[in-house]
Formats: sequence, C-alpha cells, structure tokens
Amino acid sequence: MKFHKSLALFATLLATVASTLHADEPPAPVTVSVAQRFAAADAAEVPDFQKHIVPLLGKLGCNGRACHGSFQGRGGFRLSLFGYDFATDHDELYGRVDTETAAQSLILQKGLMEIQHEGGQRLKPGSWEHHLMLRWVQAGAPPRVPDPPSLLRLEVTPSEILFNTAGQQQPLTAIAVWSNGVREDVTALCRFQTNDDQIADITQNGLVTAAEPGDTHVVAFYDSAVVPVPVIRPVTPQFGDQYPQVAAPTRIDELVVQKLRKIGVVQSDTCSDAEFLRRASLDVTGTLPTPAEIREFLANQSPDKRARKIDELLERPGYVAWWTTRICDITGNSDDKLNNVTPVQAEASKQWYEWVEKRVRENMPWDRIVEGIVLANSRNPGETYQQYCENISRLYHKDGPGASGYAERQGLAHFWARQNFQTSEDRVIAFAYTFLGTRIQCAQCHKHPFDQWTQDDFKQFEGFFKSTVGRQNARPDAKADYDKMLAELQGTEGLKGNDLRRVLAEQLAKGATVPLGEVYTTKVQARAANRNRPATPAQRRGNGPAPATAKILAGPVVDLTQVEDARQPLMDWLRSPENPLFAKAFVNRVWASYFNVGIVQPADDLNLANPPVNAPLLDYLAKGFIEHQFDMKWLHREILNSRTYQLSWIPNSTNRHDERNFSRAVPRRLPAEIAWDIMMQASLSTEKNSEFVTALDKRALSIPGSGLRQRNRNPADYALTVFGRSIRESNCDCDRSDEPSLLQTIFVQNDGQVLSMLDSQDGWLAETCKQNGLQFTRKSSDDAAAAQQARARTQLKTRFKEQLKKLEEQLAAAEEKQAEKQIASLKAQIRKLRDQAVARGVIEADAADVAAAEQQAVAQGTPQLNTDAIITDAWLRTLSRMPTDNELQTAKTWIAESKDPVEGIRGVLWALLNTREFIVNH
Amino acid sequence: MAIFKNCDGTTRRDFLRAGVFGTTGLTLASYSQLAAASHVNPNAKGKAAIFVNLNGGPSHMDTFDLKPDAPSEYRGEFNPIQTCLSGVTISEHLPKLAACMDKFTLLRGVSHSVAAHELGTKYVNTGNRPLPSLEFPGYGAVITKERPGQEELPSFVAIPNSSQRPGYLGVKYAPMNTTSTPVMGQAYRVRGITMAGGLTVEDLERRRGLLTQIDRTFSDVEKDSQLLDGMDEFGRQAHTVISSTKAREAFDISKESPEFSQAFGTTPLGASCLLALRLVESGVRFVTVSNGGWDTHNDNWTALRTRQLPPLDEALSALFNGLAARGLLDSTVVYVTGEFGRTPKINSTRNGRDHYPRNMFMLLGGGGVRGGQVLGESDETASMPKHEGFSPDDVAASFYHAMGIDHTYEYHTSTGRPVMIVRDGRVIPQLFS
Repeated sequence: MKFHKSLALFATLLATVASTLHADEPPAPVTVSVAQRFAAADAAEVPDFQKHIVPLLGKLGCNGRACHGSFQGRGGFRLSLFGYDFATDHDELYGRVDTETAAQSLILQKGLMEIQHEGGQRLKPGSWEHHLMLRWVQAGAPPRVPDPPSLLRLEVTPSEILFNTAGQQQPLTAIAVWSNGVREDVTALCRFQTNDDQIADITQNGLVTAAEPGDTHVVAFYDSAVVPVPVIRPVTPQFGDQYPQVAAPTRIDELVVQKLRKIGVVQSDTCSDAEFLRRASLDVTGTLPTPAEIREFLANQSPDKRARKIDELLERPGYVAWWTTRICDITGNSDDKLNNVTPVQAEASKQWYEWVEKRVRENMPWDRIVEGIVLANSRNPGETYQQYCENISRLYHKDGPGASGYAERQGLAHFWARQNFQTSEDRVIAFAYTFLGTRIQCAQCHKHPFDQWTQDDFKQFEGFFKSTVGRQNARPDAKADYDKMLAELQGTEGLKGNDLRRVLAEQLAKGATVPLGEVYTTKVQARAANRNRPATPAQRRGNGPAPATAKILAGPVVDLTQVEDARQPLMDWLRSPENPLFAKAFVNRVWASYFNVGIVQPADDLNLANPPVNAPLLDYLAKGFIEHQFDMKWLHREILNSRTYQLSWIPNSTNRHDERNFSRAVPRRLPAEIAWDIMMQASLSTEKNSEFVTALDKRALSIPGSGLRQRNRNPADYALTVFGRSIRESNCDCDRSDEPSLLQTIFVQNDGQVLSMLDSQDGWLAETCKQNGLQFTRKSSDDAAAAQQARARTQLKTRFKEQLKKLEEQLAAAEEKQAEKQIASLKAQIRKLRDQAVARGVIEADAADVAAAEQQAVAQGTPQLNTDAIITDAWLRTLSRMPTDNELQTAKTWIAESKDPVEGIRGVLWALLNTREFIVNH
Repeated sequence: MAIFKNCDGTTRRDFLRAGVFGTTGLTLASYSQLAAASHVNPNAKGKAAIFVNLNGGPSHMDTFDLKPDAPSEYRGEFNPIQTCLSGVTISEHLPKLAACMDKFTLLRGVSHSVAAHELGTKYVNTGNRPLPSLEFPGYGAVITKERPGQEELPSFVAIPNSSQRPGYLGVKYAPMNTTSTPVMGQAYRVRGITMAGGLTVEDLERRRGLLTQIDRTFSDVEKDSQLLDGMDEFGRQAHTVISSTKAREAFDISKESPEFSQAFGTTPLGASCLLALRLVESGVRFVTVSNGGWDTHNDNWTALRTRQLPPLDEALSALFNGLAARGLLDSTVVYVTGEFGRTPKINSTRNGRDHYPRNMFMLLGGGGVRGGQVLGESDETASMPKHEGFSPDDVAASFYHAMGIDHTYEYHTSTGRPVMIVRDGRVIPQLFS
C-alpha cells in the first residue's frame, strides 16, 4: 500500500522506510518464538517493549476495555486500549515495577495473584510469560527503543485453510517482519479471533478447529498488523475437481464461480424474463415496469433483450433520481444538519440534491463528483464576494433559476457546512465513511481494534481538514463587503441569528442581493512551534490552527505549507490508482445495492479484520472502475449484465443457505422511497402508472433532504419514516433501514392513506370500473369524505324523487288525456331518470332492469365485466408477472363471493399490495 | 461474516444472521428477550410509564418553585398556596395538584446548561446531553427494546407525537404516533389501529383469507429467510393488532365512563392523559404526552393563569388520582418535565420570562417512586440549585431504575461504539427510600 511515487507533489515529501530486504536475497532466519526463548527462567535476552511486552499485555487481556484498557483505568492503573500508546503505557507500568527486587513488582505480584487482583491470575508461575515479564523488569524495564523499526508485515501461514470434516485442526504460524530485517515467530504473542465460530473456532495459541460447513475468516492481530486467513469447509462433496461444469459468461461470473467451486455451492438457474424485468427496473430505476412494458418484453424474442433493457433502464430518470438519492445518503444531505446554512429554510438540501442530480444525469465520473465535494468552496474560482452574493441570491429570486441553479456551481460547499461536520475529528470520521467506506472512529480514542489505524494516524490525518471554515458569515477579507451589503439592506439593523435570516429571506423574495455566509479555505502558514503557549480552548477541542503537516492514512507525511489548499493532496490521494479504499468503497456499495449484501459486509465497514467474501471479485471491479475513469454506468452495466445478477431466487440443493456468496438472488425489502412509490404506482390508472417511468414529480425518490424539518411537508413522510428512509446523520449506511417491522405491515394493511389511495379518482380501481361497466363506489377511509358522499347521495335521492314525482304526475295527466305521443315521451324520460339514478347509486336497480340492461349491453357492445383480464392486469401492475392458473381461479372465486365486484377487485388489489412478493425485490 | 464489530474489540452476532449456514431460530421477540439479560430487573415495580413533555419550558418560579420573598424584579404575580404536604407551597393556580402531592415527588433545583428548545428537549427526553455526532435514543425506545409489551398492542405510543426518537437503536424502536390529539367524549381514530371507514372486521378477515392464499410464492423458502419469515410473522401480528378489540377499545377514550373521565376536564391535555392511562391499563409499555404553549416570553402570567395552568392542574391531578384509583400508580412511573425553566429575572419589556436551564423543576411519581416529598432546593431567587442540585441525567438514571433498567448498561451503536444508556447520571436514592 505504498503511496504512488509518481505524484510529483509527494516526491520530496515521502518519508518511506527504506527496506533492507530485496526480493532476490534469502530472507533472514526466523527468530524462534518467545515461548521457547523464555521457557527457562534464566534467559539472558532482554524483552523488547514494543515487540514483546505490549503484545503480551494485550494477549493476557490487561489492556482490554473491561480491564486496564478502560478509559478510567482499573485500580488506578490505566493502559492504552489495545496498546499503541507506548510512552504512556511505559509510564504507567514503570510506576509499578521494582527493578531492584524485580519479583516484588506490583505488575508481577498482581498478575501472578500473589496479592489480591480483581482481574484474577493472568500469569502462571514459571511460565514463559512470567519469565518474560520478570526478565524485562530485571533489565530495568526499558521503554520502546528510540527510533524503533516498523512492522513491515505479519506473515501468517497457511494463507488459506481448507477443511473437510468437523473437528479437523490446523495451527497457524505468524512471523513478524520488521524494517530492520528481523524476522520473529510471534505466534505466541498474537491475539486471534474467528469471524464465525459456527464455522471455525480458534484458540489463543492459533489452533483453528473446523465446525459447520461454510466459509469464514480467522484473524491474527499483532502490533499494528491485522491479518485475516480464509477458512473453508465445503458445503457439498461437489467442490474442486468434483465441481460440475457451469456457465460463467462474464468475468464477474468466473470470479464468483471460482469461489463457489471451493465451497461446493452451485449457482441457481437464471431467473425468468418477468423476474428479470421487475428486479432490474426496481433496482436501477426504483420503478415498476408497466403492464404494457412487461407484455412487450415477454413477447420480445431477441437474444440480447436483457442487455438492451439494461441500457434503456440506465437512461431513465429513475436511475438518476435513485443514485442521486443514494449519493445524498452517503454524503449526508440532511435538513436537520443544514439548519441555517441558507437564508431560506430547506433550500440547502434542495440545492445539494440538484447539484448531485445534474452530475449523475451527465454520468460525471465518480472521482470528479467527489472532487467537487472535497475541494468545495462557496465561491467559484475568481468570484469576488460581491459576485458570489449576487449569483447565489439570484437562486432565490422569483425569476431566478431556483435550486437547480446551484447545480451549476463548481463545488458542493454545503457538505462542509453541515452542523456535524465542523470539528476536524468529525470531519475525519465522516470523510472516511463517505469516501473510503471505513469506520475510523475507533482510532479517535485508541488503536483501532480491527484495522491498522492508530490514534496517531487519526490525529495526523486531521490536519487536512483544519484549514476549511464551514459555518461563518464571510471570509475575513470580505468582512467589510459583508458589513456594507448588510448596512444597505433595510430592516436588518441590529438583527442577528434567526431574526436576521428572516429579514434576509424577505429581501431575497423581493429580489435583493443579500450578504451570505461562505465555506472557504485558507492557505496553511508555516509557523514556529511555540511549546510554551498554553492551548486555547479551540485547540483543546481539536480545532486549533492547521498544522504545517498532515499524514495520509497509511501514506506519506505532506507539507501543507507547500499547497494552496490542504485538501488538494487529500483529493490527489483519493483518486490515485494506488488508493486502497476509494474505488472499492463505491464499487462495494453499488454491489450491495444489487445483491442485498456487499462483497464486504457491512458495505461501509471496509477494514482488515472484515475481509471481502470474494477478494478477487472486489479487486476486479475496483480495478475496472479505475481503468474506466470511474465511469459509474460502466460499473452498473458490468454487474447487471452478469449471469450472477440475473440468477433466480429459487435455491437448489447446494445453495439454500447461501446469502453471502452470490449463488442465487436473495429476496430483499425494497428501500423506503421505492416501496412507497410503487404502492402508488401500482394503484394508479394505466396512464398515471406509466407516467412513473418518465416523470419524477411527486415521487419519494426525488425528495431532496432528510430530517425532522422536512417531515410533515410531504404526504409520503409517514410512510418513509415507517419504512426506514435514511436519516443521513450518523455516518453509517445503516441510517437507512431495510428491515421489516410491525408498523410497516399495519401501514399497508390498514392505514387510511393506503386505503384511500386504492379509491383514488385517478386510481386503477376507478378506471377498471369504468372500463367494465361497473358503478365505482368508494370505500373511503376518510370519514369526512364518506359523510359528504352520504349527504350528496341523500340530496340526489331527494331530487330524484321530486323529479320522478313530477314526471309521474305529468304521465298520469297525459294518460288521462290519452296523449300517446306525450305518454311515450314521458315514459322514456322516466326510464332515463331511473337509469341515471341507478347509475349514481341512488336507487337499487330491479332485477328486470338489470336483465334488460345486460341484454342491451350485449346488443350494443357496452363494457362488460371481464374478470380474467382485470385479475391479470392486477397481477401485472403489482407483481409484474402473469397470475398462475391457480391464482387466477382463487381471485375469481373471491371476487365472485364478494358483496359486489368493485369490493372484490378492491380486495384483490389490497391483497396483492400486502404480499411479500410485492414489497421485496427478488 | 455474521459478526458486528464493536469499537472495543468485542463482537456480537448479528440477529439477522446472513452467514453461509448461519441459521438461528430467533424471532424478534425472543431475541429481545435474550438481549434483556442481567441489566433488566423484571421484578422492578415500574411496569409502564407515562412521560408528559411540557414543550416550551414551563416557568418554575410560577408553578412549583415560588419565591414570594424574592425582590419584585424576580417574584412574579402569583401567590403560593399550601399543599397537602406540610410546609410545602406551590402556585395558587395549581390547587388540584396541591391536593395530591402525596402521589409524586417534586424535584426542585434540577439544572443543566442547554438553553435552546430542540437541544434541551433532546436532553430531557434521553437523559444525555445532546451530541451532534450521535443521536441518543429516547426513554421510550430504550424501554421498548428492554421490556417489549404485548403482541396485540404497540409498545410505545406517542400522543400525538414525540421528541423521543429511537436514535442509534434503530427505527424499529420508534413510537407509534397517534398524529392527532383525542377530543374528550368523541370516538378516537388512530392511524393504522382504527379500522378505516367502511372497513369492518369481517371485511378484513375475508381479505386476510385471500392474502394468505395468494402470498405463497415464497412458501418453500420462507423458513430459511429471516426477512420472509419475519414479514410473515409481522403480517400475523398486524392482523391481530388491527382486528383486536383490545387495541381499538384502548384508544377510544369515549369508551371511558363519564364519571371517571370528568376529572380530566375537556382540554386536549386532559383527553391525552386519559388516553395515556387507558393505554397503560391495556398493556402499552410507554406513552408520551406532548403539551405545548409553555414558551412564555410574552405576558407570562396571563398565559399561565388563563391558558396553561388550569388544564395542567386538572389533567395531571386526574392522571395521578386516576392511576391510583385504578390501582395502577404502583406500577406506572409518571415523569413530567419541560426542556428548561424560565429566567427568574423578569423580562420587563415583554412582561415575560425567557429560556433558563440553570434551574428547573421536574415531577416523578408512581412505580415505586416515593410520593409526598420535595427533593432539592433552589436559592433565594430560584436562579440556581441551593446545594448540589440534580442533572437531567440523574433524573433519567432514577427513571430507568424505577423501570428496572440498569442505566449504566452499555449499548453498541451501529458503528460499534459503546455508549451507556445514561452516560453521566446517578440514581437519586431519596426517590426510592
């Protein structure tokens, strides 16, 4: 992971460790384990503090969180958690050793339980551990050596373990390779962990034991190294040479099958065309295919119709909206966190959405989108403060371009203005989450337990984030302009905070230019270190002046005084092909959106101890993504066209329990926005249904921000909350929840909003009634509406009766006069009136009338109830497939047994929306 | 790979296990019960709780912490009256509460330093001083997680909505918001619970029959999928909740006898308190009632005298007395608080009081909390606690204690950080002595 040297910027700054090892030289002999070297009590060797003492304390559990690694310490004795603070740890230990009479040292007496120790006996008398500690104390308890060598790597063998029966065992050996050429067997000093003890267990001596079939990793930890070792016990006898011949048309398929071959799992068959169309439409565009589209796709005989459909889907607005939403998720577009960032509330989140939307629409390469975020300042290059205020103010003017005008700005400055992105510590955490898919926060306070990062790495990385100001009025050199502009605006005198913002919003509405806050960066100045000056409160909080240097994670130290913007080297590092995480983080998230789980899972938790389930696959995609200049559509296309993506969810005898190795499709609950959108889409009329494919207004997919402030403004808010739309505030992909819940089910079954949606004037039910000659009646969930309808019906009835009475009186009079012509006319009028009344539900039609009407309908070809077609349509618009014969019969019978056909059809639609098949993608 | 990584190096198995051959027979309910181990004392007296949130910050000096001898720029217009506790006085506009002070503890001298509405509200609804980087779960979310209620009813109901968000615990511990306030004497409709107009239990049964017949696509694989199996279970539960008369009756305050309802008055707060009582009686674990209008920057005394205090006096006293009459007070913790107090020094230009977190009051009663006492004391001008005072964290710790939950228990956030339920609080022993 050495940083790319060709970047001239770093050429002079690289603090690379010159390795004394050359590939063609035989490696130095391996020093045998401390367990042997200190087996006897009289070993002469002096243990090394970093190499031996601290790892041993870790292994014995002394610096664990429940013990002395706790931030409060235990019994007044505190060690750094997971031990990477050598100076402090030495100080603490040194106060508890007696170098004159070593055996009297508190750390030995306590560890041996010679005196009371809450943590129990950690050292067995006469053990190598005891001897090692004793020898160290006897030698004067030396600290870490000055200018210590660094750990180049930890070589763990074997590098992969294949078991075939339960109970089989395999010891691991770990060799530490140091920068000074020393190679030492440190197996006895490593901590070990299994990632799934149901598949393989591991002892603290590194002995791995097979359990259930499956695959997992065991992990060795030593110093800063974290090394995972795959453990596989095949699931069936069909593995390796016994594996059947299977199709693997794309590189993705080859790599997936390569892994499956090892574990003896065979992929399912490919899914049906209908399943493919539904799955891909929902995954790519968050939209259901229309019934017409399904019929057309099923009828299409072309062999490349799936590939063509993928291309088509990637050009639809739904793709743009969905991936804009996902990028807003991971970048943190939250109304709550953007409070007061713009003079008009909730505008910041809209502008943010528009900025991302334009770039996704244009398929701008991912690294260039990120560049616009990482290097964002509020002002475009060359803009004066005055121009900046004019340009931004225009967005709010009545005749201005609105939030979409913000998309034309070079940078997404709002990213830096978020409330939870102000301290450099918060920035490191959020940056690592968003762009590296890594949870670095552990290293904020201690050595990361699952990764290489130390607290020092974290602190030195903070330097890149300290010279950007996120929530200020104006850049200091523009303060005078700011004051002047404010003074020229009426009604702002003496106002601050919310009061001022209110007036500014009013001024904007009137078309004025108002002074605005800005995100800006200052050049890092070289300054002489003044050790004597006490830290200011800001410095103690970690917000001090930017340091002159910062260090790339697992990379070189950068002299920040040599660059205009401290974030530039950070961005160069991000997009460099050598960056170990940037491409993988995005690729893994995209993969996870198509396969329920990432190649690394959780998808935003890339760390050494959480290795990819299929490393060659992740490497291939990341490399391809980089080679294709971070072209997002290349990535989508590559995945969608694989056979692996197009597998059926129906398992075979080998992969029933596999949800991690991509041997079949895994049913997954639809994301909140899509779940709600398709409930609407499925229940709307044919015309409105198809509008979902082309238009995005009124869709949950295009709601810009998240957060409480947004709530109750959009009718979808309740549904989106219940279905777990991302809250975008805690730097975790889990801010979005795809878990089912009781409230969700209650919502779809019985919420007034859903039930009245079925009865919508624009709905499919109303349309179907019309087309089938049925009287559409609402079963409205809205009491007020129902009451109004009842009132209206009563009025109609009264009016009908009055009119009928009048006509009947006229008829009686005419009959008396025997005016035949008039009688015929009046009779016709009465008949017409009755028909109208029946049609409007005012009176019940009598049996003779119904029979007559039906006869007439047959004769005239007026619409007739076609239950089969209705049911088929209902299935197509919800489950995107034809009903089976059985389902057709069930639904038919159910409709026939319902009070009336309308209620029957309504019930069928309700039931379909409530099936699991509807709400999961499969 | 079915293991969550925690910051402190411990691992815990994901309940929705996704490993190859990682199958567990755990349902959500049994998992919750498993999770509820040593840090939950199921024998604690508190079995349910009602949290009344007085939004806006009620003036402590004009309600429960009067200083009749303070200088006139502090004192305020109201006079103290004797309560049923000897030597204890409260505002003259709270006579009914004065008469039932034996049923709860009045805490004076509660103090913090967050003077903004939103942040202060978060503080008193979680027991943790808010952080920008982490959202703490509200009491209701923690209680729902640790002590889930019955199947027929939601565990956590908010009337009409709540500041208690599930935070890092995740959306499944979110409250069921009624979204509207009940009106005394009228049938009450609740989103999702009340059968929507026109739909009858029979309709629902019929539809459910059709649904079970057509929802069979996954029947061969559903037992192997936590998702599909879980959704199936939720489907059954949802049907139980919706068709259960118990749930509908509990929400319908018009079913309450007029004699019992009368004491609650006719205000929205009274109706909300009555609903809270009925829900708790039916088995709901946690109910929040939100009541606004306490942000009395202007015309503090008029607002309190005419608009705020009479309904509060009536509703809260009826709640305490009603719970006692139904035999529920011993098992129901009632917790009443605003987000802060109000400035002791009167804002003379507006004849009001402004935000003031340094000194405020809270009420805690029922569920084993000793009633009939005043704990804590403020100084001569009600500006600061006279002695050490209490923090919202302390009251939160005590509240959890009453509910049998160890507030020092550590959760792991979704990113693996260990966080105590209440990070900085100590149980106030006198509440339980």
